[in-house]
Amino acid sequence: MKDQAFFEGLMAEAVICAYCGYCRAVCPTYAGVGWESCSPRGRIQLTRLIMEGTPPTRDRMTRLYQCTLCGHCTQVCPTRIDLRRFWLEARKQTVARELSPQGLAAARDNVAKTGNVYGYPNDERAGWVEYMDDAPADLYQRDQAEVVYFVGCSSSFSPRVQRIAESFVRVLDAAGVDFTILGEGEVCCGFPLLAAGMHDQAQAVIEHNLERVRAIGATTIVFNCPACRMMWLEEYARHLPGVRLLHSTELLAELTAAQRLPMKDVNRIVTYHDPCDLARNGGVYEAPRAVLAAIPGLRLVEVHERRERGLCCGGGGDLEMVDTALSGRVAARTVSKLAGTGAQTIVTACPQCVRTLTRGAEQTAPDVTVKDIVELLAEALDR
Amino acid sequence: MPLTQLASIPADRVTEDAIERKLYSRDLASVPAIMVKPFFRTLPDVVVRPGNAEQVAETIRQAARERIPVTPRAAASTSYYNSVPVRGGWVLDVNDMRDGIELDTARQTVRVLPATTWFELDDALQQRGFAVKSYPSSAVSATVGGWVSMQGHGMGSLKYGGVGEQLVSLQVALPSGELVTVTRESDPPLDWFIAAEGTLGVITQVELTVRPRPAAESHHLFAFDELNTLGQNVVSLARAEPCPFTIFFADSGYLRLLARAGFHIPLDLPQSHFPVSEKGLLLVSFQGEPSEVNQGKDRLTRVAGCELSSDLALEEWNMRLYHLRAKRAGPSLLAAESWLPIDALHHYLKSVKALAERSRLLIGTYGLAVAPNMALVMSLYPTDERRTVEYLAALGFTKRLHDLAARYGGRPYGVGLWNSAYLPRLFSRTRLDELKRRKARLDPSGIMNPGKLYQAPFPLWPITFGIGAMLLGAAHIALGRERP
Repeated sequence: MKDQAFFEGLMAEAVICAYCGYCRAVCPTYAGVGWESCSPRGRIQLTRLIMEGTPPTRDRMTRLYQCTLCGHCTQVCPTRIDLRRFWLEARKQTVARELSPQGLAAARDNVAKTGNVYGYPNDERAGWVEYMDDAPADLYQRDQAEVVYFVGCSSSFSPRVQRIAESFVRVLDAAGVDFTILGEGEVCCGFPLLAAGMHDQAQAVIEHNLERVRAIGATTIVFNCPACRMMWLEEYARHLPGVRLLHSTELLAELTAAQRLPMKDVNRIVTYHDPCDLARNGGVYEAPRAVLAAIPGLRLVEVHERRERGLCCGGGGDLEMVDTALSGRVAARTVSKLAGTGAQTIVTACPQCVRTLTRGAEQTAPDVTVKDIVELLAEALDR
Repeated sequence: MPLTQLASIPADRVTEDAIERKLYSRDLASVPAIMVKPFFRTLPDVVVRPGNAEQVAETIRQAARERIPVTPRAAASTSYYNSVPVRGGWVLDVNDMRDGIELDTARQTVRVLPATTWFELDDALQQRGFAVKSYPSSAVSATVGGWVSMQGHGMGSLKYGGVGEQLVSLQVALPSGELVTVTRESDPPLDWFIAAEGTLGVITQVELTVRPRPAAESHHLFAFDELNTLGQNVVSLARAEPCPFTIFFADSGYLRLLARAGFHIPLDLPQSHFPVSEKGLLLVSFQGEPSEVNQGKDRLTRVAGCELSSDLALEEWNMRLYHLRAKRAGPSLLAAESWLPIDALHHYLKSVKALAERSRLLIGTYGLAVAPNMALVMSLYPTDERRTVEYLAALGFTKRLHDLAARYGGRPYGVGLWNSAYLPRLFSRTRLDELKRRKARLDPSGIMNPGKLYQAPFPLWPITFGIGAMLLGAAHIALGRERP
């Protein structure tokens, strides 16, 4: 199907929904739950029933959150409903009815109090730099820079994926990029709040981050996290005219094309997992593949379900906070497909995908490792 | 039925939740409660999701013991309530019986679980150098078992026949709860279960023939200014050698629906729909060995229409599973789908045009040639289910279109509940008696998908339905006119 998709309001789209079930056939959480109410068409119908007067309960509304916002339903919807917008709007209404899942309230409170979803003290946001034996004296925090590296909550605080941030700054250094991180000046981009339906709460963090970035005077902001990038493109970009908002793979593709990254041979067979928010929802398919192609000795074995048809890691749309077990089932299914390529390493380009796929691999393919593309690139650097 | 009596199924595969059950009480058709609630019990008492054939059989055995109606359901991607209960009871959601693909490359056959979609099956086969021979135009959601249970004609049927012709064997859980494998030679034979709409048992595995993945394919799109020529060219191409994989056609009404829905169409249409343009489209696709495809392409020099670019042809081919996009022009869309003798296609298209023009209605028709002598035609018209009176009237209008097809020897495609009103058109008396004998033999208690296929329930008796639909259809012409 073409990219064109429409959203004219919840009720209008619920009526347009043909109940054909194309969405259901591709939905990763429906596959993990099995009940019609957890299929996209079921959720649309549920939304309609509630708008028409069926009493909502927290349990029923949880179905709206058993969704990773992977966008595969939008991709195949014959009536071209922009279902990602539909889910976000439906969740917004759920919050207005005070029926969103309990776990999300904690995330909201954490962001309000500490600036990150985990509730850690935000002055530890750049704590990962302190573990780097080769970190510069300024710990990558500079007053002015051409590029701001917006690290994101996962890479800042989650131990498994802090290595992504470490790897990325090493790669940027190796390429001679003039960059800075924001340190404790960075707060959550707001996407987890937007995904939860808490639009109003997201506004405060947006304003905070905008102010910090403007003060640096950067011309480019770069993200490892595709959800952060999407959030910035959708909610921040209009306030930052002339500033490029790039995913790490887009910047790295430029750097490798300009031969600014000296690399040694790596002897490894990898497969690539397209993160939903980077690929299907974000339109970035070529940059990560160009980066992988630039690593000498690397052999890419593509999985059949890739690009627009890429599988979901189970970690998006706040699902991990709402239903950890379901998130794990989705991840395990995806890992088994990716491992079926025979690759030793699953490479992706998203810290959340790395987290969930790593857990999935522990269950289904313990011999397979999961890495972010910047980790792989850092290993390949010839220094 | 208390859930404890469904002890053979794990508790997390059974639900009595009111909202969940409600979601199982509909299919594509959105029918107002006033037409359903007084006559039918579409809300199941319980929904069961068996995980394998044995659990299906065991559930049916329990239902048979208690004489509880059982309605099998997979994608529920039809619009005749084929998989919606009309007498309550249990809905058997078989969607967990998916995949399980076993390809026999030497015999060129595949075994597959029933809830695998046609898209999934073809995708899996293509990776191994094979392909399905035919598939429905709803292949993304339509399941293998579901299409076998329905009429089973669509893309590729012109070249390879209906899905019934491709079947080697079926595993079926009979209404007695017995799990059997049926073939052409078995008793009961496989043929009984084709288009039986789940009234004789639940299909739990399908074995069918496949073909080598086509080495070449080629798509060609033609524009026509005149419906007679369009219809006649469909006929001559459907009988041409080499046989095209598929022939798709559409009239200006369908193209206008797409344009109104916000999609690009490959033809320029006049600003106003009236007088209704005679323009139409024809897509011819060849698949097979390169020599065969080239031979087919050579044959196209005799097509009377104006050939459009190969990019447009490819775009149209890529949209072959997305005809429902026209629904955005609605927001509701009603339709009459009919088998039609292909020689009468141009008459039918001209008559729909005349009906649309006289009634000042927007009606779009598209279809496929599915055999050298047979087409499937879908005539659609926009409406809005939020306006109940107008929508009820619009529902009645489908009969006008079915009547129009009947004038040219057509009959509805599929029966279920709603098309049971047309039983005398669908089956001869002898054929219907034979179908009833099969039902009586295999399902003497009548638990399997009751209320469908064999007899029209009130208010769908031909006389009540005929009068009601005539009045409602007239009201639609009054209420549904296109505004200038």
